Amino acid sequence: MTPPWRINEVLDRAETGPICLEKDFELKVLVPKLKEVINQYEIKFDPEYLVPSDDSLADDLWKAALDLYLAVGTLCTSTHRRILFDESEIREAMRNFPGRYVVGYGKDSKEMLHRKMEDSARPFCLFSPDITCDEELFVPMSMAYLQEPLADGVCAPILEEVEGRSIKTGAPYETKGAIAHAMMFREAARRVGRPGIFLQGVGTAQSDAAQIAASNTVWGERLTDGRFVASISELKVDHSLLNKMVHFHQYGSFVGALTGPMLGGYCGGPEGTAVVGAAYHIQGLMVNQAHYLNYFPFHIKHMHNTTGELLWGISLVYQALARNTPLISLSNGFAAAGPCTPMVLYEAAAHGLVSVVSGANLWEMAVARNKYKNRATPMEAKMACEVGCGAAESGIKRSEANELVRKIVSKYASQIPEAPLGKMFQECYDVKKAVPAREYTELYRTVKRELLDLGVPFAY
Amino acid sequence: MLVERLKKSIINGQEQDAEEAARQILNAGMDPMQVMERELFPAIKSVGEKFEKGEYFLTDLMSAADAMRTATRVLASNMKEAGRGGMATTRMGRVVIGAVSGDIHDIGKNIVALLLEVNGFDAHDLGKDVESMKFIERAAEVQAKIMALSALMTTTKPAQKEIMDLLNETGLRKKFLVMLGGAPTTNEWAEQIGADGWAETAEQGVKLAERLVKER
Repeated sequence: MTPPWRINEVLDRAETGPICLEKDFELKVLVPKLKEVINQYEIKFDPEYLVPSDDSLADDLWKAALDLYLAVGTLCTSTHRRILFDESEIREAMRNFPGRYVVGYGKDSKEMLHRKMEDSARPFCLFSPDITCDEELFVPMSMAYLQEPLADGVCAPILEEVEGRSIKTGAPYETKGAIAHAMMFREAARRVGRPGIFLQGVGTAQSDAAQIAASNTVWGERLTDGRFVASISELKVDHSLLNKMVHFHQYGSFVGALTGPMLGGYCGGPEGTAVVGAAYHIQGLMVNQAHYLNYFPFHIKHMHNTTGELLWGISLVYQALARNTPLISLSNGFAAAGPCTPMVLYEAAAHGLVSVVSGANLWEMAVARNKYKNRATPMEAKMACEVGCGAAESGIKRSEANELVRKIVSKYASQIPEAPLGKMFQECYDVKKAVPAREYTELYRTVKRELLDLGVPFAY
Repeated sequence: MLVERLKKSIINGQEQDAEEAARQILNAGMDPMQVMERELFPAIKSVGEKFEKGEYFLTDLMSAADAMRTATRVLASNMKEAGRGGMATTRMGRVVIGAVSGDIHDIGKNIVALLLEVNGFDAHDLGKDVESMKFIERAAEVQAKIMALSALMTTTKPAQKEIMDLLNETGLRKKFLVMLGGAPTTNEWAEQIGADGWAETAEQGVKLAERLVKER
């Protein structure tokens, strides 16, 4: 697929746009305009409606985000210049955005598409641990995720070591680690019988050089796979990120934008986080040149996005995108609790339900505050995606989802600050067989039964 | 009344108002040191507490810190030992802080630096993606008590160890207290690489710095 817009224009503007120091960008450019648009469009968090049903509120959020982005743009911290666009350019990029792609190849290829609110189209489900693992667990953990039937695509765990040596950003072992990551992940996909599944890479590589080293159509990241261009919080990029963007497009793979506004940071509260979140999608289209986005707003202290104020913003951002854009975005859950706890399964269910009924695809799921090595399993992603697919197939309305989500959130909201870390992958999975241990399987069944009794829709 | 106005302007992050109030306090002949110690330090500390409770966001904290810096610069201009234009915050000692080599994420580190300042430390913020030896050179240059090393990525965490190795191999380890923070770091990691402490949150970071200084 072609880039959504003109790459050279973006690079040129990063060299010639208005000069702006980083601190001024945050405090004098971004924050005042953000406050202005929140007031102008009267964006206000309402804890009664975690899944709002008011279309005009979604449209207002979109207008606020567009106004914000047109005025603020993206800061390139390498050149201290703002990359700015006018509205016609954004409309041009939107107009030429296809809205659906086939990713992966052969029998394992899947369609990734733009979704609407209360859409019956099944969401694209990407399974990902979003965390680091021991080197010897990389293959079994990858296989555990890859063999999940609901997974349309998978992102591997991240290596901290390669051949027993520590991986450090920018150092040669990062390049070795990125290559090892790509090779082992490809091999793991073949071993589970899904050689063409969409693979998202390469989390082990932070630097542009290491990312580029993992591009290889034989053993590494292929043209049918996805690669990420991240952002720097908030609404910033640098040369390293732009290097990746140029390489991924010229190499020919799919490009995702990785975007995570922080509640409690420069965005302020839930309203600002939602407005910046929607604006990030415009940046993703124009600057990151993304075919799809991974969206993970999170709480700056507790590193989760499963409580009311963040779920409200997630819902509103996806409704705004569904009504006003053709963009494709994957909603990335961040749970406070860890694997093999009832709480993490409740959090997963809430995130999957809110996201899908609002128009999102799914990327599930970072758990245990996205902090602890080996502490993630496919079971959390499975719960979120079973509920998400169930929401799409059942035709549940936003108002019904709202009632359900409030009930689910009430089960864990007060426990967020002291959320249980749960167990590590090797403690609740049979590592050799890459299957969940009986304890986790039974816990999953118990929580699923409880959620079904509440009326939560499941795919099966 | 003037003092109340100054406190309010700091708590509300109104820099211009804080500057004016501070000037009027000087013109009224009030003792600037007494105003700072009895009124301003508790006021800015209360801002830190509001942030800790979630009542204030980062931008509120930054605005309050800017107002505090401006007010103390004005007040210190009339004192024998003028401050360096910061918050006159050498009471607790100097801290060299930064995001380690390869790490471009700095919001968490910025919060820690601000909270250290509002709690009486003199924070020398080196920014992000700071080369390992630069931490040591700068800490020696400003005679810092503490080095605070932030890493937000698993692949930048090893740079914290690199700094510890450099300190040990250059014989400078005992000159500085070293504290670690950042999403992928843990207490076990801090113990493993021989740091003096680890903090999970910015608020815990301040408490750790206070404890380390007292225990030294």
